[in-house]
Amino acid sequence: MRIDPDQMVTFWEWLIPGMGLLNGFLLVVTLAVLGFIVCYVIAARLYGPAEGFYVIAEVMSKFFREDLPNTSLRRIAALARLAFQEALRRKVLAIFAVFVVGLMFAGWYLDPAADDPAKLYISFVMTSINYMMLLLGLFLSSFSLPADIKNRTIYTIITKPVRPTEIVLGRVLGFTLVGTLLLGTMGILSYVFVTRGIVHYHEMEPMEANARKGASTYDARHSHTVTFLEDGTGVTDEVKSHRHTVSVREVDGKKVYNFGPPEGTLQARIPVFGVLRFTQRDGSIGDGINVGYESTYRKYIDGASLSSAIWTFNNVDESSFGDQLNIEMTITAYRTFKGDIVTGVRGSVILRSPDGKIESERFPFIVKEYQVDRMEIPRTVKGFRDGQPQELDIYKDLVQDGKLEVIIRCNDRSQYFGMAPADLYLRKGDAAFGWNFFKGFLGIWFQMVIIICFGVMFSTFLTGPVAMIATLAALTLGFFGSLASGALSGEIVGGGPIQSLIRTVTQQSPTIPIDLGSERLEEAIRFGDQGILGVLTALTSALPNFQSLNTADFVAFGINIFGGLVARHGTITFGYLVLTTIVSYFFLKTREFAA
Amino acid sequence: MSATAESTAAKSSKTTSEPVIETRNLGKIYRDFWGRKKVYALKSLDIEVKQGEIFGLLGPNGSGKSTTIKLILGLLFPTSGRAFVFGKDSTDVRKNERVGYLPEESYLYKFLNAEETLDFYGRLFEMPAEERRARTEKLIKMVGLEKSRRRQLREYSKGMTRRIGLAQALINEPDLLVLDEPTTGLDPLGSRDMKDLILKLRDEGKTILLCSHQLADVQDVCDRVAILHQGELKELGRVDSLLKVQDVTEVHAKGLSDEAKREIQEVIKRHGGEVLTVDNPTTTMEELFLDIVRQSENRPGHRSVE
Repeated sequence: MRIDPDQMVTFWEWLIPGMGLLNGFLLVVTLAVLGFIVCYVIAARLYGPAEGFYVIAEVMSKFFREDLPNTSLRRIAALARLAFQEALRRKVLAIFAVFVVGLMFAGWYLDPAADDPAKLYISFVMTSINYMMLLLGLFLSSFSLPADIKNRTIYTIITKPVRPTEIVLGRVLGFTLVGTLLLGTMGILSYVFVTRGIVHYHEMEPMEANARKGASTYDARHSHTVTFLEDGTGVTDEVKSHRHTVSVREVDGKKVYNFGPPEGTLQARIPVFGVLRFTQRDGSIGDGINVGYESTYRKYIDGASLSSAIWTFNNVDESSFGDQLNIEMTITAYRTFKGDIVTGVRGSVILRSPDGKIESERFPFIVKEYQVDRMEIPRTVKGFRDGQPQELDIYKDLVQDGKLEVIIRCNDRSQYFGMAPADLYLRKGDAAFGWNFFKGFLGIWFQMVIIICFGVMFSTFLTGPVAMIATLAALTLGFFGSLASGALSGEIVGGGPIQSLIRTVTQQSPTIPIDLGSERLEEAIRFGDQGILGVLTALTSALPNFQSLNTADFVAFGINIFGGLVARHGTITFGYLVLTTIVSYFFLKTREFAA
Repeated sequence: MSATAESTAAKSSKTTSEPVIETRNLGKIYRDFWGRKKVYALKSLDIEVKQGEIFGLLGPNGSGKSTTIKLILGLLFPTSGRAFVFGKDSTDVRKNERVGYLPEESYLYKFLNAEETLDFYGRLFEMPAEERRARTEKLIKMVGLEKSRRRQLREYSKGMTRRIGLAQALINEPDLLVLDEPTTGLDPLGSRDMKDLILKLRDEGKTILLCSHQLADVQDVCDRVAILHQGELKELGRVDSLLKVQDVTEVHAKGLSDEAKREIQEVIKRHGGEVLTVDNPTTTMEELFLDIVRQSENRPGHRSVE
């Protein structure tokens, strides 16, 4: 899976140095200025330039002096209750029936013979629920207020002491409640579906009395080889990303084997990420190699050279990691020749102190592509201090000021290792899978709330279907927002929309500069593209990026969703709630409900 | 006049100094999307509604009476002039605490039943649960919907919808009640009930603004009327004085034979006999109304109103 470095930072690092707060502030200021200009133009036309200014000032002061302090929680609750009742009586629960039916038949199509069935199951339920909830939020929120205005039921609300803020917040709250109810039920059902689909047990095939190895029965489309240890217990090999422990009891002189539940699947590993840098072929610090893939997420190092990837970890101490340092990595290999296809590409891990003077021996590994590779390094390792071999204690000798370096080298000549910052981490134990599952659903919930906020906001001045399309447009732009900024920064090759269109028609490669025979024309096209992309990037940066709010992958790949990320998404959601409420307020306050 | 009516009359006379509703040069132009003028819905309206009176807005369809009500309630914003309710601007939300509004058709949530409807509107006034229950109970009884209190409003007949609409308008015990066509859709009996109720509410000291084109209703209940046509005020005054015909005398007598009737003319000439009532006869509201509309169509523009 892909974890961007900016997702690894803690909440406070994101909020202040990570520009989270600043971006939010800029968004508010930009919206306020733009809103003021647009309102002033309209007001000046209606009332004249001076009077128009006065009218706007009055509306604004009314918001702060009058309507905001008098917004009542009880009225919000009453309106939320109404929205809730409305939604239920409009039979939104039908969506739930669709889900249950889908879940019932999903088992037929999800391949239990897949390499990692847990990933498949979790991805399926979370993705389907995510889309369902977004659709639900979209429909609920964008049609409600326009229907009230069309049926004129809004007359009986507006003529009561109800503030526009209450109308907006009441709706958002009511629909959120409906969504939460549905999402909660679906979450519980899918948790049961996933765990029941994954948890399975085996039995032993008949084996000789004192054999140290045996085979399990073929259940859930696989079987294991069981190895018995000195103490009589057994462990299986890893098949389909899990293993079992086997306990043995004697009943009436016969051995009875008890298989435990699958381990290593349905987990929530707690990763500690480091900062990645590369050394080049000659050992000097530099960037990794681009092997020609369009995605620049991973950088590559050359085999059998001084080229290496170096992670620096902070806050490494005994209390966090104990007597064993668990390193987990998902490293991809890029082959320039087929090589030894049976053994795979070889590499090694070295622990090093930040000053570079103390270094552990090499821990060799063979890269497991597309799978998590685990390496358990004991506390005392053999190594070298200033080139002199000696025994080293990880915490006492290698860690300096809490910092430790982990170095990856590729050992095979002309083969390459590719890695991103998130591809190697120290595993700091496990969190409960159920809790992680919940946090994944919280991600869906945040997205739903934002959709509802936007739907309600657009429905304050657009008719139902138009509000829905506008919300959908916001959603889509948010989804593909990174495309625009990527194309603008040049990270995505091929230029902007005009260039892409020309390339599509003339069949020019996106990786080479566009060639139309006229430098001036090319320059003009590039300039136009920059303009379009600039506007798109600015627009999309004001919209929520749903891709980044989606944490389903974390759950599917068994990585604990960091609290900082949840807090960040919560803050973003709250920010959008506040922002859309204020925008909605002004739209409601300045519109006539009767016409 | 009953004792309560007297006391409320006394009370109202004390506070008549401050009008409940006041419009100053109130005007409304409907514009299209591009801001072009479409319709002059209302032209510089000046009226005052005093406390404790029933004020009727009368006019044919499209005369601006609904627009006036919506401007007063803040559902529309005036293009010119201003409207004040209880001394506050019509767009001020706070005035709604003391206002009850029965819309033209009762625009209520069809998926709620009568109890839920009243409870919901009660919540909007931040009433405590106890008070909401009591008022819901009282109002359902008052409008006679005890039997259908648990039915969803979508199943209601037009008359029942009017009743629940009125109950909704009264949930906060308003000082000002705005009724848009209160008797449309009601059968004669329901219409009578509604009118009795309006009079009763007036006797309780409430101010009522209603608009209607049911002339008989206006004649029956209103203390004062304003007649609008094509967005302009055509007539304003007390119903009884508006309907007086000054140069005719009407005699009501009973138990007279034909001979006596013949004699009466002589008797009247000689000021003899027993005359039961001598009064100015009234015309009907309908005649007055049609007369004004006809005149207005012949001579558009303001009609002098004192």
